[in-house]
Amino acid sequence: MLTSVFGAEPVTGEEHGLTSAAVPVLQVFGLTISNSMIITWIVTLLLILFVRLATSKMSLVPGKLQNFLEMIVEGLYEFFKGILGERVVRSTFWFFSAIFLFILSTNWFSLLPGVGSMGWGHTTESGHFMVDIPWLRGGNADLNMTCAMAMLFFLFWTIWAFKFNGVKGVAKELFGVKSDGITGPLLAFLAVIFFLVGFLEIISICFRPISLMFRLYGNIYAGEVMMETMMEMGPITGILASLPVYFLETLVGFVQAMVFALLTAVFTATMCSTSESEGTAH
Amino acid sequence: MITALLAELTGSFHVALAALGSAIGIGLVGKGASESVGRNPGAFGKVMVMAILAIAFAESIVFFALFLVK
Repeated sequence: MLTSVFGAEPVTGEEHGLTSAAVPVLQVFGLTISNSMIITWIVTLLLILFVRLATSKMSLVPGKLQNFLEMIVEGLYEFFKGILGERVVRSTFWFFSAIFLFILSTNWFSLLPGVGSMGWGHTTESGHFMVDIPWLRGGNADLNMTCAMAMLFFLFWTIWAFKFNGVKGVAKELFGVKSDGITGPLLAFLAVIFFLVGFLEIISICFRPISLMFRLYGNIYAGEVMMETMMEMGPITGILASLPVYFLETLVGFVQAMVFALLTAVFTATMCSTSESEGTAH
Repeated sequence: MITALLAELTGSFHVALAALGSAIGIGLVGKGASESVGRNPGAFGKVMVMAILAIAFAESIVFFALFLVK
């Protein structure tokens, strides 16, 4: 039975299921638009609409929508202030909150019914309609999206590192000896070690965007594949089996958004916030 | 004899080993987090944030093995 439904040659030549790369949907002026790009546009529009509606008539005693937005913004601001410190969070809060809200909204929006199941396709012999090119696809199940966010973080991290520390400060953070009160030959010995460790640190810093990118992509893509596999088990058992996975994906979407924002904030904090009176080691 | 048997094995060993190591790592993080919250229930918020961070770090290794190896 399975071969009669899925035996019709799939368009992509791979196995039936979610392809690991996003599928192009339209061609506009030579630019290829894929289905995960469309969903990110929809999510962005919804976010902008929500914020605009909530701040259209601001009053001192807020209405429900404004109250909700204030709760979100203030909660995030306090959360990041605890990590970054007052000075850094003023000029960097926009990035972390935008990353968190965008990834969260994209993940949760991609769970709505219709994503991945509406699109262009063909009818197989047994009368089923098989979707070959879905119009919408999970926004973060596309490596381009997560790569863009990770590279943007790397760019802004570099800018903020130089802005908050200066060129000499950055060199001191990476290569300098991070202990005080040690003089003499021990200091020279430690200086050599810290200098060499600085190069290792640079390698690990350059690896961070890659790990951020693959973490988010892997979690969301694996979740979608898991849901799809569960649903193929049959009409009744498929639904029963994929319901827990659906709620797991809701949790995973939230946790991955929080982890991305938290990790970027912690990376920024280790570089930029140690010049304050925090007193945290390195 | 044993090498002939071993040579017949195919599949994604790298993914399996990465998943094994990652699962054990996440379990260790969970153990540490549960113990510390049990000792000091007031620190639940901070411990949870740090535990989620460590779990995300440990989990991402699996994705490297899954997607970066041909």
